[in-house]
Amino acid sequence: MITVRVHVNNLIFGYDYRTVLKDISFKLNSGDFLVVIGNNGSGKSTLVKCILGLNKVAPGSIVLDDVDITTFKTFINIGYVPQKFDDFNYEFPITVNEILSASNISKISDDKRLELLDKIGILELQNENINNLSGGQLQRVFIVRSLMNKPKMLILDEPTVGVDQKNVEAFYKTVNELNKEGITIILITHNINESNANYTHVLSLYNGEGVFKEVVREEEE
Amino acid sequence: MMLLSDVPFIMAIFEYPFLRYAILAGLIMGFVTPLIGSFVIIRRLSFIADTLSHFSLAGLSIGLFLINTLGYTFIGSPLYLAIISAVIGAFIIEILRGYYQNYKEISMPIVMSLGTALSALFISLSGGWSSSIYNFLFGSLLTVGQDYVGIISIVSAGVLLLVVVFYKQLVLVSFDEQYARLVGVRINIFQFVSTLVLALVVSLSIVTVGVLLVSSLMIIPVAAAMKVGKSFRNTITISIIFSEISVIGGVWISYELDYPTGATIVLINIFILFLVGFVKRFYVNKRIREQKHAIQGK
Repeated sequence: MITVRVHVNNLIFGYDYRTVLKDISFKLNSGDFLVVIGNNGSGKSTLVKCILGLNKVAPGSIVLDDVDITTFKTFINIGYVPQKFDDFNYEFPITVNEILSASNISKISDDKRLELLDKIGILELQNENINNLSGGQLQRVFIVRSLMNKPKMLILDEPTVGVDQKNVEAFYKTVNELNKEGITIILITHNINESNANYTHVLSLYNGEGVFKEVVREEEE
Repeated sequence: MMLLSDVPFIMAIFEYPFLRYAILAGLIMGFVTPLIGSFVIIRRLSFIADTLSHFSLAGLSIGLFLINTLGYTFIGSPLYLAIISAVIGAFIIEILRGYYQNYKEISMPIVMSLGTALSALFISLSGGWSSSIYNFLFGSLLTVGQDYVGIISIVSAGVLLLVVVFYKQLVLVSFDEQYARLVGVRINIFQFVSTLVLALVVSLSIVTVGVLLVSSLMIIPVAAAMKVGKSFRNTITISIIFSEISVIGGVWISYELDYPTGATIVLINIFILFLVGFVKRFYVNKRIREQKHAIQGK
């Protein structure tokens, strides 16, 4: 059954006296794949922070699975893969397994964790120190982390910045597969042409104003 | 002291209770300080221990003033006021960090300046420099008694319990605060409790190594362990081992040569840090040379 997963309704958000998002509205169903594009400062990351409850939304509303996010105590149902150097402290020694164990809020079994590592193609890295990993490998670790709590939606904020082309292709292959399994995806990127993503919708942001479009693809032979 | 040191150190441990207390207190603080220090370093708050220790000195000075000058002997030990002072300092730091969201480190010099100024004022009011002040500045591990060992045992057990129970949350908040917030960790409460714990440990460490050297007990063993640690737990374990070596070595040297205990502990810590850096560099260079030879051989 198709259900409305995300409903952003007349969202306006600003910092101090500067309005960053101006009346943004869109709806996504389960299994949809939205690409949010726009230049630096167009409001892409601000939108993500609003959906994740990190920015307080008012006026406007964001409803996830029929529940207003202002009532959420946790956003555990949303998997979030940040930009590479966003907030994570990479310099202190910690292994992939250790960071995944700490992030295992839903208490999935060790077997399930190993299964996820295998699925994302980084099983052999489980005991590696994270500061020995390449950008692409790190992104995969973050994907595994975001999948550990069985998310219904995955938000990827410029996930391939600083990642080489070969790993970018592998990354989007994985994302497309997850989308096929029914996970709603929101991908933030400044360059839609770079991704091999099988997106279904596009939200173009320009100076905080958004144009939301469904992508109609020709049926493959 | 010089007479006591005629007895070999190992024998003296069995013979003299003060030495047993010193080693016990040192071992407990040597365990708990790098444990806390690891999380302090990850959160890039290394300077906070120094700030709180200087603010504790204000409490100590006020305590000395109240006890020695005004005769309020019911206070017992100025160390109690140091603990209260460190907790107040921790509160002020948290409030200032809230005010200066983008320049959070500003809170440290403000609190440190206030602590140092109050210390200078009350040291002067309580009759200037004395051996008590000297002991608080540089530590006096060899003079600790059963009471102090009792207090630090209780506090350390509490700290260990908190770390074990909230291990996941501690790791998440330290490494990735944003992610911790998303999965429902209440960051504000967490920060408040961890700063409070830090204040307690810092103020109690003053007896071991003194106000001026407290942060070194917390930071240097972890800094050395970071160079060789293979994982998070491994790094914490190594830092505790380094810390305990420096405590035992420091007390030993202090006993044998009649040197200040705090200074010897910290100097051994620094020696370990340089030794680890040197040995690691040696092995890295050796591996590079071997790889070069292997490539040239092909």
